[in-house]
Amino acid sequence: MTVLGLSNRRELEVRRYPILIYALVPLTALVLQAWLPRLLHGYGWFDLPLVVTVYFALGRRNPVQGTLMGAGMGLFEDALTHHAIGVNGIAKTVAGFLAASVGVRIDVENHTIRLTLNFLLSLVCSGIYLFINRILLGLDLEWSWVTELLKAVGNSVIAAVLFPLLDRAQIRD
Amino acid sequence: MDSFFTRYRNLLVLLVLLAAQIIGLAVQVRRTDSGRSSYDIADGPGVRLIRLWANALVTPAERLIHDAKLGVGNLWTGYLDLRHVHDQNQDLQKTIDRLRLEQASMLEDAKQGQRLQALLGFQEKYIYKTVVAQAIGTSGSNQSRVFYLDKGKDAGLEPDMAVITADGIVGKVREVFPHSAQVLAINDQSSGAGVILETTRIRGILRGNAAGQPQVVGVMADPRIKPGEKVLTAGGDQIFPRGLPVGVVEKVVRDPDRDSFIDVIVKPAAYLDRLDEVLVITSTEPRFSAEQDQDVATSEALKGAEAAAIKEQQKASQIMAERLPGLTDPNAPAAGAQATGKPGEPGTASAVATPVAAPPTPKLLPAQHVDRYSPGLAPATVPASDAKPQPRQQNAAPAGQAKQAPAKTAPKPGDPAKPRRTQ
Repeated sequence: MTVLGLSNRRELEVRRYPILIYALVPLTALVLQAWLPRLLHGYGWFDLPLVVTVYFALGRRNPVQGTLMGAGMGLFEDALTHHAIGVNGIAKTVAGFLAASVGVRIDVENHTIRLTLNFLLSLVCSGIYLFINRILLGLDLEWSWVTELLKAVGNSVIAAVLFPLLDRAQIRD
Repeated sequence: MDSFFTRYRNLLVLLVLLAAQIIGLAVQVRRTDSGRSSYDIADGPGVRLIRLWANALVTPAERLIHDAKLGVGNLWTGYLDLRHVHDQNQDLQKTIDRLRLEQASMLEDAKQGQRLQALLGFQEKYIYKTVVAQAIGTSGSNQSRVFYLDKGKDAGLEPDMAVITADGIVGKVREVFPHSAQVLAINDQSSGAGVILETTRIRGILRGNAAGQPQVVGVMADPRIKPGEKVLTAGGDQIFPRGLPVGVVEKVVRDPDRDSFIDVIVKPAAYLDRLDEVLVITSTEPRFSAEQDQDVATSEALKGAEAAAIKEQQKASQIMAERLPGLTDPNAPAAGAQATGKPGEPGTASAVATPVAAPPTPKLLPAQHVDRYSPGLAPATVPASDAKPQPRQQNAAPAGQAKQAPAKTAPKPGDPAKPRRTQ
């Protein structure tokens, strides 16, 4: 893992994408997240909005943008459930912020690093989700860490395919 | 000051967003009387608006994908893959006919039940009207087992309507949008349906667990509960009509929180993970719908026609039995003889043609071989010609010829009747 010094941060490339990519990719991720579990008959162990949030946060290397994107995606996901709006929002806000903050300090061109980050941030998101439900809200929520682990693995697998595809869409000078 | 905001801009944005969402959560969750927290059953106007926007954005895309999938599927099944359709159609038609007859008898029972319930002042509600809807999407979260239907307020859907399939119950409508609706599945942790175990008659509340399996909770430990027992709706929750299939008991586990209680894990009758078409019960009434009444009438008509056909068939058989000489026992006493009190008098050939009011007596065919096994029947009574192996043509001789042969072996008046082998 290459850790960059402070002087090198500004020299890092900030990725830019066409406006359509910014609009369509998150929306497609949200739609597919809502539709694919039907097709997979309950084996939907993935979180496409989180994968997309992590990708753009790492690529843009801007914590504010990462935080806002995470919040937007999380709130949207919450709106599709029957739970209170904000649980996923908080979890993905933190994930977006962490991904963008790490992206400033670490060379995220390395594919392995990105996949590892994706895996870890998935587990962080699950932990925050559990913390909010059980501790902050005091709700009775049955939990299965095995499912969350499978979800983290699923996210990494999807990221392994999706990240190189999205890399091709970036605008190069 | 300016430099403070600039320096900590990232962190401040994060904190503001987190604070706003935490306040939002605090508004949506409330304490119950038992001291536990729960989500508000009905969303506030602000929350509902956010859900409406999200739904308006996602549902059209989901509908488009679903329609495209259905279109391709229909193209294949409706136009290309039509093998065995004719046979299937015939099988289905037979099934419909059979079910109609069953339905007619069952609905008669149900009508009688209604009359009795009316006498007792209790009225059971029946499924009166349903709306067919397609499941087009989910929440996308394992923690929230809800799915979306392609019908909404425009189709007459309302919150708390029961959603079922032909196999069993599925869930209840939670939120209704103009053109779609959100359904809370029975395997969600926050769902609740009153159920009863068919054999043991133990009642409980059905809700989901973390693994997405429906389970009956709050049941006292009972060794009679065995895997395979059917679980039905109890009808006390004012959502699901009584007696709908829920599933079967899969296993019984100890309640982790209470010692003397158990959780009954249920294998759902409906395929909750692969739902496609569902029925939303939009109306329940203590009477049958016009469609059901029409079905009963059709079934009754079919039943009448079938009964007439059976009667006609029986009549034709009787006529055939009377007219075909081979089917009438030439040794049977004539009807006139019976009427005049002369039992045992052998009948004549002319008596065969005479219509008899009494049911035809089964004819004992002449023995083809010597009966050496019946006690008291000496082989000498059988003519020598009969003891010889008969040519095959004689067996296949016309009935008129065959009729005369048994005259040799016909019992004489006064002889006790002996059982004969009819090989």
